[in-house]
Amino acid sequence: MPKALSAHSNISASPAFMQNLRDIAEITPLLVVLLGLFGGAVVLGILQSFGYAPWFGINEFPTTQYFERLWFSSDFWVSLGLTLYYGFAATLIGLVISVPLSIALSKKFKSSRLFGALTRLPLMVPYTVGIALALVMLGNGGLFSRISAGLGLIDDPSQFVRVLKSHWGYGIIAVYVWKQVPFMTLTLSAVLARKGEDTVEAAMVLGASSRQIFWRVTLPQIMPGIVSASLICFAFNIGAFEAPLILGGGYPDTLPVLAWRYFQDANYAFQLQGMAVVVSLALVSGVFLGAYLLGYRRWERARGRV
Amino acid sequence: MTGQTSKPRDLKAISPWQRLLVLTMATFTIAPFAPLIIQSLAFRWAWPNILPTVWWHEQRERSPFPLAWDYVFSPSSRVGEATINTLGIGIAVTLLCLLICLPAARVLAQRNFHGKSQLEFLIALPLLLPEAAIGIALLMIFIALGLAGTYAGVIVVHLIPTIPYMVRMLTAVYQGHGTEAEDHARILGANRSQIFFRVTLPMILPGVIAGCLFTFLVSTNLFLLTFFIGQGHIITLPTLLFAKISGGALDATGAGIALIASIPGIILLIFTDRFIRNYPLAE
Amino acid sequence: MQRTKPLIRQMLLASTLAVVSWSGVAQAMNAPGVFRSEFLKGNLGWEDVTARAREEGSVNFYYWGGSDIINLWVDQVATPALAAEGVRLNPVRITATKDTVDVVIAELAAGRGEEQGSVDLVWVNGENFYSLKQQNALWGAFANRLPNSVNFEWDENDPRSLLNLRDFGVKTGFQEMPWSGEQYVCSVNRAHVSAENTPATFAQLKTYLEANPGKFTYVKPPHYLGNTFVQSVLYAHNPDGTGAEPYQKSFEELGSVELARLMEPGIEYLKSIEPLLLGGASGKPRYPENSGELDNLFLNSEVHFNCKFGVFGNHNGLITGAYPEQAEEMIFPAGNMIKNKNYLAVPLNSPHPAAALVAINYFSSVEAQATKLKTAGMPVGLDLWRLSEEEAAEIATSAPPHYGVTQQQLDDNIAPDTNASLVDVIEATWLAVIERKEDKPLADIVAQVSGELNN
Repeated sequence: MPKALSAHSNISASPAFMQNLRDIAEITPLLVVLLGLFGGAVVLGILQSFGYAPWFGINEFPTTQYFERLWFSSDFWVSLGLTLYYGFAATLIGLVISVPLSIALSKKFKSSRLFGALTRLPLMVPYTVGIALALVMLGNGGLFSRISAGLGLIDDPSQFVRVLKSHWGYGIIAVYVWKQVPFMTLTLSAVLARKGEDTVEAAMVLGASSRQIFWRVTLPQIMPGIVSASLICFAFNIGAFEAPLILGGGYPDTLPVLAWRYFQDANYAFQLQGMAVVVSLALVSGVFLGAYLLGYRRWERARGRV
Repeated sequence: MTGQTSKPRDLKAISPWQRLLVLTMATFTIAPFAPLIIQSLAFRWAWPNILPTVWWHEQRERSPFPLAWDYVFSPSSRVGEATINTLGIGIAVTLLCLLICLPAARVLAQRNFHGKSQLEFLIALPLLLPEAAIGIALLMIFIALGLAGTYAGVIVVHLIPTIPYMVRMLTAVYQGHGTEAEDHARILGANRSQIFFRVTLPMILPGVIAGCLFTFLVSTNLFLLTFFIGQGHIITLPTLLFAKISGGALDATGAGIALIASIPGIILLIFTDRFIRNYPLAE
Repeated sequence: MQRTKPLIRQMLLASTLAVVSWSGVAQAMNAPGVFRSEFLKGNLGWEDVTARAREEGSVNFYYWGGSDIINLWVDQVATPALAAEGVRLNPVRITATKDTVDVVIAELAAGRGEEQGSVDLVWVNGENFYSLKQQNALWGAFANRLPNSVNFEWDENDPRSLLNLRDFGVKTGFQEMPWSGEQYVCSVNRAHVSAENTPATFAQLKTYLEANPGKFTYVKPPHYLGNTFVQSVLYAHNPDGTGAEPYQKSFEELGSVELARLMEPGIEYLKSIEPLLLGGASGKPRYPENSGELDNLFLNSEVHFNCKFGVFGNHNGLITGAYPEQAEEMIFPAGNMIKNKNYLAVPLNSPHPAAALVAINYFSSVEAQATKLKTAGMPVGLDLWRLSEEEAAEIATSAPPHYGVTQQQLDDNIAPDTNASLVDVIEATWLAVIERKEDKPLADIVAQVSGELNN
C-alpha cells in the first residue's frame, strides 16, 4: 500500500509541478516587460528627481533640492491646480454625459446601431484630431465666432468669448470630453449588457419610479465601470501634454507641459528639475486615485452591509 | 408621480429625453468634422466668412506649388511615410503585445496563486500613472540604451499603455470559457499544440481579435510616448499632425492631415465595431 | 569650361593617389576624426571630399520644417540636385532648432564623439550657434575652404563681411556657412489700416493701439521672433540715443548694471503697451507661441499687424493664403529693422562630415540660392557683389515682389542684431518682468537672471 501510494503521488505531483513551471514561464514575459520597462522608468525617475544622474556628471544623491525648489515656488502650486482642475472637470463632465448616454444606447430605437457607432467615433481617432477640431471651431477666429458675427452678436473677433488660450481651459476640457465620453460609454455599456435587465424589471414590477430605478438599481450596478473608467480618464487627463500645450493659456503651464519645457532645456540640471515635476505629478495622482479607490471600497462595503 | 410609476412601461423603449441626448451627442461628435473638411478645401478662409473667400480649386492653376490636398498627397507632406509608420508600428505592437499577453492571460484566468491581485494591480498601473511621467523617465533610459529615435524603441514603449487592455480583454475571454473543453481533448489524447490550435484558439478567437483591434487602435492613436521616444525621427500620423498644429493654427494642409489621421479609426469603426463593442475595456 | 581642366587634372591625381595608397589611406581615413583633422589642416582636395561624400552616401539635414514652401524646395530641388552628386539628402524636419542643439550636446555628453552622432547638418543662427560653439560641439573652420566660398565676402577689412564673420555678434570662425539673409519686416492689413495711420515708430504704434486697442501682439520670447521684437524696442528706446550700438558688446564687456540702465526705457514701453495688446483688456495679453499662430491672428483680423523675419514674408503669406488679401509691407520700426543671416553648421560628431560639406557647398551655389529665392521665398545668403553679372542678374530675376515698399526702403532701415550673450539675458528679463510680473528694480532682475544663466 505505501508503495502504491507513493507511486500514485509521484505520478500526480510531477504534472502539477510541470504545470506550475509552465504557468510561471507563461507569465514571465509580461512580468519582464512590466517590471523592466515600467518599473525601471519609475525607479529611475525617482532616483533622478533626488539628484542621481551620473551620465550628466551629476550625482548629488540623495538631495531634495529639486523638490524644495519646486514646492516652494508658488507657480508650481498654480500649475498643479490647473492640472487637477482640467483633469477633474473633464472627467466629471464626461461621466455626467456618459452615464445617461450608455443607458440610452442600451435601449431599442431606430438606427440605434448607427448612432452607437457615431458616438464612438472619437474613441477611434487621435487626440490631435480632436485638438484640430477645437482649433477650427472654438478659437476667436473659429466657426462659432464667425457664426456669432453672422448673427450680428459681435463685430470683432476679440468680442467672442476666449475659449482657447485661456486658463479656464474650456477648449482643453471640450477635447477631453469629446474624446473620452465614448470610452466611458463603451465601458459602461459593457457592464450594463452583462448585468441584464432582470433587476430593473423586478424593481419596476415592485413599482419603483424611473428616478428610483436609476439611483437605487442601475447606478450601483454600473458603479465598478464608472470607477475604473473615471480613474483611467482622470489619470490620462492630468498626464496629457498636447492639449494643454496647444489650447492652454500659456504660463503658468500644466505640470506635464512644465516638465517638458524643463526637459527641453540644454541645461541638464533642469532635466532633473523636470523629473521632480513628473514625480510630484505621479505622487499627487497616486494620492487622488488611492483616496478614490479607498472611498469606493468603503462605499461598496457599506452597501454590502445594508 | 405615483400615477406614472403604476403605468406599465416598455423596458426597452427610449424616452424622448434619451433620444435627445443621443442625438445631441452624435451631433457633438460628428459636426466638427464639417468645418475641418471645408478648411481642407480652402485657400483663404478668414474671419468673419462662414465659407472660404478663395477655394483651393480656384487657386490651384495659378499656384506655382502644390496647395492643400495637392500638398497632402505630395511626398513633401510626409503623409505617406507617417501612414506606413503608424500602421507598421501598430501591427508590430499588436503582435508583440499578443505574444506577451496571451499566455499570461491564460494563467491569470485559470489559476489562483499568492499575490494574484497585486499582480493584477501592477498590470493596470500603467493606465493610472501620468503618461508624461512614464514618457520622460523612459526617454532617459532609452537615450542611454540607444533606443531613442528608433522603431524598436517606439514599438517597445507602445507596449506600456496597450498591455493593460490586452490582458484585460484576453483574461475575460479565458474566464468565459473555462478549461473543460481542453480537459476533454487532453483525455482524448490530443497533444498540447493540437489542443491550442484546434480547441482553445477557435474558442477565444473573437476575444483575441477584439483585443488585437483595440491594441492596434491605442497604438495608432498614441501621441505622447511616440513623440517623446521617437525624438522627431519616427513620424506617425498623430505626431505629424501635432507638428502641423502645435502653433495653435490650422491651415488647409493641417486640416487635410487631420482628416487622413482619422481614416484608420473610421475604417476600424465601420468594419470592426461589433468586435470591440461587446468587450469590457476596463473594470 | 575654365574649371574643367584643373578638375580633370585633380581627378587624375586623386585616382592615381587612390590606386597607389588605396588600402592604407582608406583604412586610415576611416578612423574617426582623421578626415576632419586632415581636411582642416588643408591636406585634402575637394575631390577627396566628394569621393568620401559618395562613400558616406547620405547626409542628415536638420531644419525647421514649419513652412510648406521650404519643405517643397528641399524635397523637389535640393534633394535631386544632391542625388546627382552622389549624396542622398535626408531632411529631418524639426519644430525648434534648440532641440537639435540639445541632441548634439547630449550625444557628446553621452560619449558619442566624432562621426558617432546623428546630426550632419543643421540650419542655425544666434543663440543656438552660440550654444554649440560654447560647448565645443562644432566640426571646425570649413566655410572658407569650400569651392563656393568665393560667393561670400570674407575680407575682414570690408565692413560688408560683418554678417559672414559674426552671428549675433559672435565670431563664426568659419564654423558655419551663411545660408540666407533675413530682415525683420512687419506687414499691415490695409483693410483696416490706411497709409497715413500706419505707424513707423513705437510711439506711433502706441497711439494707434490707444485708438484701436488689442490690434497688435508679438510672438512670445524666448521664441526668436519675440526676442527680435524686444531687441528692436530696446534699440529704439536706448536712453543714450545710440540705438543698437551698445548691444553689440558682449555681456562681460557691458556688465549687468549698464545693461539694465540701457534696457530700462524699453522694458517700461513693453510694460506700458501690455493692456493695449491682443487680449490685454482682460488683464492677460495673448502672446502667440510662434509665427503660425500670429499669421492666423493676422488673417482673421484679430490683429492688424504681423511682424516676423522674412524679407518676402508678405509675398509668401499671400501666395499660400495665410495672409489677408490686402496685406502690405510697412517700414516699422523705422531705422531699427533688424537684419541678420542664418547659417548651416556641422556638429562635431557628424556621422557623414564629407557629405555635409558637399551639401553645404551645393546650398551655397548661385543655382541653389536662386531657386530657393524663387520657389521658397528665402532671401539669398551670398553676397551679390562677389558674383558675376550674369549670376547677379539670375538672382535679381528670381526675387519675389514687394508690396507697398521697395527693397531700397527696406535696405535703408536696417539695424544689426544683438550680441548672442545678451540675448539670453534679455529674454530671461522679459520672462521675469512681463510674464512672471516680478516687481523688483530692473537692475536686480538683470543681475539675478544673468547670475542664474551663468550657473
